[in-house]
Amino acid sequence: MRIPPRVSVVFFLVCLTSVLIVLRVNGAQWFGGGGPEYYSGNNSEKAEFYWSRLRYTPRVGQGGGYGYGYGYGASWSRDYPKADRQFLMALRRLTRIQARSTEQVVDLDSDEIYDYPWVYAVQVESWSFTDAEAKRLRDYLLKGGFLMVDDFHGTADWQNFMEGMRMVLPNRPIEDLNDNDEIFHVLYDLGERFQVPGEQYVATGRTYEKDGYVPKWRAIRDDKGRVMVAICHNMHLGDAWEWADTAEYPEKFASLAFRVGLNYIMYGMTH
Amino acid sequence: MFQFLFKYPIAMFSRGEFVLLGSWPKWILLCLVAACAAGLAFLIHSRLKQAAPRVNIWRAGVIWLLQFAMAGLLLVLLWRPAIVIAELKPQQNIIAILLDDSRSMGITENGATREAQAVKALQNGVLAALNKNFQTRLYRLDSHLTQIPDLQEVREASAPATRIGDGLKQLATETSGLPIGAIVLLSDGADNSGGIDLDTISALRSRRIPVHAVGLGLERIPNDTEINDVVVAPRALADSRLSATITFHQAGYAGRKATLTARDGEKTLATREITLAGDGSIQTEGLLFNAGEAGAKALQFSIDPLPGEDNRANNSVTRLVNVESDKRRILYVEGEPRWEYKFIRRAEDDDRIVQVVSMLRTTENKIYRQGISDPKELADGFPTRAEDLFGYQAIIIGSVEAGYFTPAQQDLLRDFVDRRGGGLLFLGGRSALGDGVWGGSSVSDLLPVALPNKKDTFHRAPATAELTPAGADSTICRLVDDPDRNVERWKKLPYLMDYQETGTPKPGAAVLAEMKAGGHTMPLLITENYGRGRTAVLATGGTWRWQMSQPLGDTTHDMFWRQLLRWLVADTRGEIVASVPSQTLFDDGHVQLSAEVRDRGYQPAADAQVEAHVVGPSGISAMVEMSPVPETPGSYQAEWTAEKPGSYVAEVTAAQGGQEMGRDVVTFQRMDGVAENFHAEQNRELLERLASQTGGRYYRPEELSKLSEEIPFSEAGITVRETKELWNMPAVFILILLLRMSEWLLRRKWGIV
Repeated sequence: MRIPPRVSVVFFLVCLTSVLIVLRVNGAQWFGGGGPEYYSGNNSEKAEFYWSRLRYTPRVGQGGGYGYGYGYGASWSRDYPKADRQFLMALRRLTRIQARSTEQVVDLDSDEIYDYPWVYAVQVESWSFTDAEAKRLRDYLLKGGFLMVDDFHGTADWQNFMEGMRMVLPNRPIEDLNDNDEIFHVLYDLGERFQVPGEQYVATGRTYEKDGYVPKWRAIRDDKGRVMVAICHNMHLGDAWEWADTAEYPEKFASLAFRVGLNYIMYGMTH
Repeated sequence: MFQFLFKYPIAMFSRGEFVLLGSWPKWILLCLVAACAAGLAFLIHSRLKQAAPRVNIWRAGVIWLLQFAMAGLLLVLLWRPAIVIAELKPQQNIIAILLDDSRSMGITENGATREAQAVKALQNGVLAALNKNFQTRLYRLDSHLTQIPDLQEVREASAPATRIGDGLKQLATETSGLPIGAIVLLSDGADNSGGIDLDTISALRSRRIPVHAVGLGLERIPNDTEINDVVVAPRALADSRLSATITFHQAGYAGRKATLTARDGEKTLATREITLAGDGSIQTEGLLFNAGEAGAKALQFSIDPLPGEDNRANNSVTRLVNVESDKRRILYVEGEPRWEYKFIRRAEDDDRIVQVVSMLRTTENKIYRQGISDPKELADGFPTRAEDLFGYQAIIIGSVEAGYFTPAQQDLLRDFVDRRGGGLLFLGGRSALGDGVWGGSSVSDLLPVALPNKKDTFHRAPATAELTPAGADSTICRLVDDPDRNVERWKKLPYLMDYQETGTPKPGAAVLAEMKAGGHTMPLLITENYGRGRTAVLATGGTWRWQMSQPLGDTTHDMFWRQLLRWLVADTRGEIVASVPSQTLFDDGHVQLSAEVRDRGYQPAADAQVEAHVVGPSGISAMVEMSPVPETPGSYQAEWTAEKPGSYVAEVTAAQGGQEMGRDVVTFQRMDGVAENFHAEQNRELLERLASQTGGRYYRPEELSKLSEEIPFSEAGITVRETKELWNMPAVFILILLLRMSEWLLRRKWGIV
């Protein structure tokens, strides 16, 4: 039997796409070999600390980033995995935390998230939760988990972020962090900070996006006053980590972004 | 009957010395006996053939035996056997009769009180028989000895205590110039002083005064439960979980349910239903309760009375517990940021007593300190001076290699446990225990395990925890009050995130929990006492998963850590440690206050000024100066008497060169009339032991008539040595007749007459 050329081409493309998706989701090993160092890594490595990136379901029409939906390319995976791995290089080099060199994607579909007490989420203006997911994240935080959110800008993004956040922690106040707060001094003294822009700064010279002119260092605390949700609004630390190795992106932004990230992790592991 | 057959009382044979009065040498007797044996054997053997077949070899043997016994007996009688014995001279000795009149003698049994039974026994001829040959002196015995003129003066048994030893000692002292021939003690043996001391026995034996003990009262009381003892820590931290070990026995209620209760005043702290074991057997049960708020507490432990129980006063005992609320500080040294560190700190957040001061190596050159009391604390890293380190009550070593500590700091760690009496906990981790080369350090002696001589003992792999029998009894591991449910609770705990091989537990170490990983079972939590302190190993850095993987609100993780850390610090004392031998003084207020005084480096302080301020009931307040104990540097003692029943608090203060070194508080209580309610059954063992140790005899009341016959055989008082010949005992003649008749009858039967 002769297979029509059109069917063969479609079949080939479907197979290729499937293989690429599987490779990407399971560790992006295909980036290895001759690729940059940050793409190589050992996912089977066991460690004390796993850089955990929260995978959530974006609200309809709010895919953000450069993709839509739950899989790779959705808003949760902005800057992934380069930002994660470059940050992990700094973490492994500058602290005594034994961290895996590759990131860990976690979601709220199962209790597995409880094995990763520190989690990072981006473009949270687009996140959405079912009731079960919101409860799991609430339990996670109240039991001692730590959530850092990043890369959302301006008034509209804040409102959208809060829509999700109120499902998780309906009554917890959100406060602006004081420069003297322990989270800014646990490892590096970061009493003076500035807005960390995304990669768009290289092309435009703008440090803000949308109407997010002023960086907001905010937090939600638990009953004992410990920060359990660290909110980085009107800034894009992930981009700073991701583009830290490029000559065009200013070192001072990358440097602060790394230090903030390290402080937040150290705080999450000590409080 | 015995005396009819043997002419003399049995006591004479047991105490006298057997002699042969015949003037001929004894060896001749032996030779003649041997010659008789041989001659009779030869004679019988030579006639055996003639008598056959009627007499076979064993019949001949029987005849030989009977004839030899006869000949031997006659030969011995020729040498005049006799008993030489010391005997009290009539009318010249005093027999002291001691009648116990403590409250337990007022217990009614078989229609009369024990005391009435004793009086009746004496009145039924015993006293009269003794009076024939001796002077008698009557005494009333309770907490002390009182002479009474006659039995009419015996009062109702109501004295709150019996001190048999003290009474006997008093008697020996007061009658040192009198010829006391023997002591007759009528008692139930319920002694409140804990027994009869060696001094008393020695005093009696030096004068060879036998004590004849007459045991009164039932040896086992039907339908009674009694608490034998309650063991509970005399000191505790506020809000900590305490364990009381209650030992008791019962009669008449085997298999029945009973309820153990712990109370603090009117407040019930804990109850537990138990099933009673067999009659008379000692049963031990545990009871867990919360120590509650700080303060000196008199806790009452009881078994709720059962139907038909007459003596209910022995169902409860009181123990003093000094609940302390002073802060205990634990220094936690962690070599790397990790989740275990965070969750241990969070577990202790709500603890009002235990404070975790931590130093965490965040980077190669940075130490992050938490819980410090001032900016200078730990600013230079781990302390290098004893006075700085000894300010903590316990130390936790996390994932830190031994090499992080200098040899001097390692020595300090050893002194911290051994000399200062602190607690030291080692956690598992990639730089901990074997992987941290602790096995090769000078601290390895402190560890409760012999670490494996290899690296890579730390594994990031799941391990499940399970309690050992020792752990099931431990308050550290008690997550649920019910012991069985607690064991099951541990089995259902989420797996640990990692584990570490610990090697073999050392002798004396207690493995409280084990873990299963990779098909192997290994120790998880091991504890040991070392020197004045204690050490433990928790071979994991992954208990934090108990917090994250269990439902929100589950307190397992926090409870375990609080209990473990409280165990670590609870017995860590300060520079001054005050103590008393027993916190409860029954009927006697004499107490010996002791204090161990050490300087800031916890070396014994020999030149301190130590005094105790004692506060008691009814406004009693006294300052007592404590004196150094010779040859024990740092030890101080003082004698004091609590005159009134009630609770007392003694605050011991030590000073050196006018500067206060520290203070400690010890509590004790005097309870009058309580001990008499316990051990109400006759303590026959004590009475028998007293009698045998002094050369006397134990009598039951119905045997008392023999007393007057046996009492003269004593070496005390004014005695004369008597020789009692034995040849004319009726038993001898009966034996001779029996031997001859037996032979004759056998010969008739066998047809060889």
